[in-house]
Amino acid sequence: MDTEHTTVLALDNIVAGYGAMTILNGTTFKVRRATITTVIGPNGAGKSTVFKTIFGMLKARAGTITFDGTDITNTTPRHLLACGICYVPQGRNIFPELTVRHNLELGGFAAPSSINIDERIEAAMVRFPILRQKADAQASTLSGGQQKLLEIARGLLLDPKLILIDEPSIGLSPLMVQETFDILKNLRAKGVTILMVEQNAKSALQISDDGLVLELGRTRMAETAETLLNDPRVGQLFLGGAMEPTAA
Amino acid sequence: MAAFIQLFVSGLATGAIYALVAVGFMLLWQTSQTINFAQGEFVMIPAFFVLWAIKILGVGFWPAVGIAVLASLLILGLLFKRAIVDPMLKHGVLPLVISTIALSIFLKEAVKDFYSSQAQPFQAMIPSEDLHLFGAVISSQSIFILLIASAAVLGLNKLLNGTRLGRAMQATAQNPSVARILGIPVERMIMYTFLINALLVALASLMISPIYLAKFTNGDTLGLAAFIAAIVGGFNQVRGAIVGGLILGVIENLAAAYISAQYRGAIPLILLIVVILWRPQGLMGRAEERTV
Repeated sequence: MDTEHTTVLALDNIVAGYGAMTILNGTTFKVRRATITTVIGPNGAGKSTVFKTIFGMLKARAGTITFDGTDITNTTPRHLLACGICYVPQGRNIFPELTVRHNLELGGFAAPSSINIDERIEAAMVRFPILRQKADAQASTLSGGQQKLLEIARGLLLDPKLILIDEPSIGLSPLMVQETFDILKNLRAKGVTILMVEQNAKSALQISDDGLVLELGRTRMAETAETLLNDPRVGQLFLGGAMEPTAA
Repeated sequence: MAAFIQLFVSGLATGAIYALVAVGFMLLWQTSQTINFAQGEFVMIPAFFVLWAIKILGVGFWPAVGIAVLASLLILGLLFKRAIVDPMLKHGVLPLVISTIALSIFLKEAVKDFYSSQAQPFQAMIPSEDLHLFGAVISSQSIFILLIASAAVLGLNKLLNGTRLGRAMQATAQNPSVARILGIPVERMIMYTFLINALLVALASLMISPIYLAKFTNGDTLGLAAFIAAIVGGFNQVRGAIVGGLILGVIENLAAAYISAQYRGAIPLILLIVVILWRPQGLMGRAEERTV
């Protein structure tokens, strides 16, 4: 499934961790262009660590990360934003005391001066009308789902080619989860690649093209999302199947 | 009534200076968790930069003021951050606090030993004249201080809320890791707040020293006043520090005249205790939660 020209992001034998603790232990995988790829795995498998390492927040001690054919190992977030990658981390990541408009505006802080930020903000508000309604309210007054929407809109301000999104559904109502997933599907239709970590593995895989199972910092499985959904082992471990002791 | 107005206005002027110092104090706290216990000495020092420039370099007052502002930016802004805050903050807030206490003692003793232990007369930026307003006699100094302090606060507000750079500084204070993800140069934003603080203390020094005279111990009262103003107003709000500073200046002055001059120094502390008991988040502040 992976011919070289369709691979947008590739990790090759990445080793990374915190202090003396190694979390990623030779992680290797590829992400195809214009797909949604979901990373699943038990707690501590290194799912969020993968994102931090790709986005230059954590140093890779070994291995290479390539984006669109260029080596981006251990570069800065600023450089990665310019390359067309954005990162939407887990949890609440807004600036609570700034207005919704100003939160959006900061998504374009790293933009070259040729980009008209005001136009981009306007476009984001056309796309997400709730952000226009609340444009001048403090971001802290938004609901959890609206805050996530704001984060995504802020991430999209620079028209990224690749979005790293960590646990987008956490703490959201089922309706908001659906809305968030719809946004991701729309982006894929426009040619954007999405790499996602998601607790809600089953629903995430249902909208995904590919799935990766990470275990102890290594890629255990790299399959199509459908294959993973139908794999009994995966089902048992991550998709809400009963956690039975493995029969010998 | 005339006496009251006089006391009120001069208290307001002192309070405006406290407010500037408190705002700087709070900016450092918000962007870098630096609780600067040397803030009072930071206000004491720039006046001595001026005196030193006049004495050693033989320049006039205004060039000396320019040199003092520059020296404040370099020493109280840049050097303070690079040499003390950056290395100490890695070890936590408390080691940094203790370092700033050490710095305050060092600055005080250095001025005493290398300049003078005597109070030095200090030239005011404008000539002192008495203005008669509503039957009260008000010093032109007080009006000048109020104007300059207001201009400084308005300018700062314009920078922080009215420009993209200022909002990026606020973003850095509110959530540094997300600011970094958006490509905001977090370290540079923090450095800017240290430079702003250096400007604020230099300004405060130039305005307070003609009133208090320049003395190595000035930092004791000023640092305490700024600290109390920040807490009384609310530690997480710039406008809180401004309100806190003004209230403190006015109450101090009125209490000294109408209650007891001897207990003047106790008034800020009493105010602090009352506020902490009755409204711990400060007059304008928000309660902040911290998970342990």
